[in-house]
Amino acid sequence: MSTLLIVEDEKHLADGLRFNLEAEGYKVDLTADGETALDLLKAEPRRYDAVVLDVMLPGKDGFEVVSELRRDGQFLPVLMLTARGRSEDVLRGFEAGADDYLPKPFELEILLARLRGLLRRHSWAQGRREALGVNPQTTPPVGGQSTTPSERHGEDIFSFDGKTIDFGALELHTAGQTIRLTLMETELLRYLIRHEGKVVSRKAMLEDIWGLREDTDTRAIDNFIARLRKYIEEEPSKPRRLLTVRGVGYQFRNMK
Amino acid sequence: MRISRRGSIIFFVTFGACLVALAVALNVGWILLNWREVTLLILGLIFFPPIIVGLILNTIFLVREIRQSERHQGFINAVTHELKTPIASIRLYLETLKTREVSDSQRREFYDIMLADSDRLLQTVEQVLRAGVTGDRRRPLHRSTMDLGKTVGECVDLARTRFHLSADAIRFRESFNGVDRPVIEGDPDELRAAVSNLLDNAVKYSDKEVAVEVEVETPDPRWATVIVRDHGIGIPSKEIKHIFKRFYRAPRRVLMRVKGTGLGLFIVRSVVEKHGGRVFASSAGEGEGSTFTIQLPRAAAQ
Repeated sequence: MSTLLIVEDEKHLADGLRFNLEAEGYKVDLTADGETALDLLKAEPRRYDAVVLDVMLPGKDGFEVVSELRRDGQFLPVLMLTARGRSEDVLRGFEAGADDYLPKPFELEILLARLRGLLRRHSWAQGRREALGVNPQTTPPVGGQSTTPSERHGEDIFSFDGKTIDFGALELHTAGQTIRLTLMETELLRYLIRHEGKVVSRKAMLEDIWGLREDTDTRAIDNFIARLRKYIEEEPSKPRRLLTVRGVGYQFRNMK
Repeated sequence: MRISRRGSIIFFVTFGACLVALAVALNVGWILLNWREVTLLILGLIFFPPIIVGLILNTIFLVREIRQSERHQGFINAVTHELKTPIASIRLYLETLKTREVSDSQRREFYDIMLADSDRLLQTVEQVLRAGVTGDRRRPLHRSTMDLGKTVGECVDLARTRFHLSADAIRFRESFNGVDRPVIEGDPDELRAAVSNLLDNAVKYSDKEVAVEVEVETPDPRWATVIVRDHGIGIPSKEIKHIFKRFYRAPRRVLMRVKGTGLGLFIVRSVVEKHGGRVFASSAGEGEGSTFTIQLPRAAAQ
């Protein structure tokens, strides 16, 4: 049974969510502010399987909570809920490290489906890492020692430049390093690699990866690209793989 | 997004200041160079000052516009939140009732929650609409002769019911000093909205225990006053002059707990000023409570 943490300061919404999630068979804890949420998550990192996080919270807001969580090396799935439904806010949430996002008011069925999806993907990734003998909670996000992936094949692995991306485990292995990726970083990399050699527009990326259809400040995606470059480029300022195509978008190139 | 906007403010303010400095330098240079040539000197003295004044005014105007638009953005965010949160809650409970087995007592509890949320929604909508109406100076008041003491008393009763408070939590007192009752020529609807807004704030910004005192007084034959005093979080002195502005919400972290649109006190001020009265706030500082005073001209004085 999965245990969830709901961080929501609107009491009515929090109670309603708790009622429904408990009816679905989850164990649920509630907290009304960001600081307490961080304390709970840091005190017992393995207690919770996922977090449902509101953005407008007293004290630390949802964006701060999720980015602090990621800095702390915790990669449990975070679903953000917010009344601020503009695309910039959505992207800011993803940028901070959220895995999924729902604007308020939301449909109960969709919330439950998204949560199930997050938990499923997370447990796959966890199972995969445990099978590799890496303890998921002790692996630091960047710079940890790692077993270089041995002879493993399958469509969920992609290698280039001596780097290996394990899409299932949300990990990037380089010489002597394992970098943990968030779900959305992985999805973006997967998308770019699938369209290898082709130029993809920012708009297409927003629509296909995040499902955003409104008019969006497409530049917001550039932050993601900058972060990915830090992971995969030798010199992030002079990218050789992840290229910017001026006025259009981005292109992943995999050539010698 | 926000960083770039802040950057552009700094850029334009610096730009304006540089232009002013340049114009002043040119002016001084002009005077030094041309002090012998009377015509040129006079021309310079006539044309440079307007340029300098124009630049200064332009910069001030720009900064004020930017501030205003920031407040407006904050207001849009706050109203979005205030409208969407109760809708999200009502919808969640309706879906719950529709799809799940719910016991009778729970069902009743859910109905109460939905009612409370629809009240909250209605309140936000009314606040926004009222701000539009009272903010419009051309719109006339529907004046009638009314007893301010009675009206305030009704507002106090309403607030007690709405926040489920005892008579001790909001105490109401009338003191007329031997003078007659505070009869005024006013628009009862608008004044009720103003007083209710003050009471709402007093309760909302009370820290833990609500202890609000409301007094209606007639200090002299010309004025009737309403005083609303709370022992809540107080107002720092540098914020007091801003709080009656439209959309203004104090940028303090404690206030994140209290939701609002930034319209309440703006409505209070607009209503009171339309009645020819005044409103002011005082507070000994953060955590020291606040006092709001409304002064309205009495009917006999008009």
